[in-house]
Amino acid sequence: MRIPGLRWGDAVIAATGAGLVVTAFILAWNPDAGSEGRSLVITQAGEPARREPLEGPRELRLQGPAGTTRVDIETGRARCAESPGTQNICEGAGWLSTRGDMAISLPNRLTLRVEGAEPAWDSIHY
Amino acid sequence: MNADRSASRRDQQIAALAAIAIGIQILEAAIPGPIPGVKPGLANIVTLVTLLTLGWRAAVAVTLLRVVGSSLLLGTLLSPAFWLSLTGALAALAALALLAPFAPRHVGATGLAIAAAMAHVTGQFLLAWLVIIPHPGLPLLLPPLWLTALIAGATTGILTAHVLSDPRIQRHIRHARPPGPA
Repeated sequence: MRIPGLRWGDAVIAATGAGLVVTAFILAWNPDAGSEGRSLVITQAGEPARREPLEGPRELRLQGPAGTTRVDIETGRARCAESPGTQNICEGAGWLSTRGDMAISLPNRLTLRVEGAEPAWDSIHY
Repeated sequence: MNADRSASRRDQQIAALAAIAIGIQILEAAIPGPIPGVKPGLANIVTLVTLLTLGWRAAVAVTLLRVVGSSLLLGTLLSPAFWLSLTGALAALAALALLAPFAPRHVGATGLAIAAAMAHVTGQFLLAWLVIIPHPGLPLLLPPLWLTALIAGATTGILTAHVLSDPRIQRHIRHARPPGPA
């Protein structure tokens, strides 16, 4: 197909645009960049959120309305080791290591969430 | 008298082109796209044809008439969609203003359309990111938006080049050219 009125400037603009797209994809969608967890954010009903660095090994004991939730923290990951919930949903979340990973204990009304260097996006709406 | 007549003829041409652009934009809004927020921007063909035949001021007039007119018909006037549309159109016009001195000698319609499309999404993105939804994750949307703008801009640009080279349009262009140095 012949395109009428094509000039050398068109090629320059098209090449610049393509380069911009490729660079943007490499910079923004590099899967390794900032995906590692850096800190654990603990929110508990009625208390301000606290942030614990993912450095350890150490153990946190969080008191809630149903009892004690025990949290294991190691370098780069954390898990809900023991929680008063009868269905073990909090423990079932396993090790949380990637940003956005979450564990929730409903009886103790708390959430554990891993955050990276940059906040992750969990959904996009239009 | 003569100047008045040519001015009113020019107004009529701008009005006709704006009407075509509004029609294209409404039709395009009615077609469901594969991804929300992504559309080919076929109305930009009219802006480019206006720019390359009637000149820079007419292109601004046609584009602003299109944005306001189509938002009146779609019921989005002064809503976020309207501001996004207006910002995109103004950014595209800014890119065209920078490149217009090089057209048609060094840059053709294809290059103009690509630059305008990429400026369009960039302007919209900046408005969305800085004003409407200042979410830090939003820049991740920019690369796919630029990619679609590149493809859509090339498509509308090629279509514009074909429209401009059509003998039926060419005849109108000769008539449409304002008197004086082109």
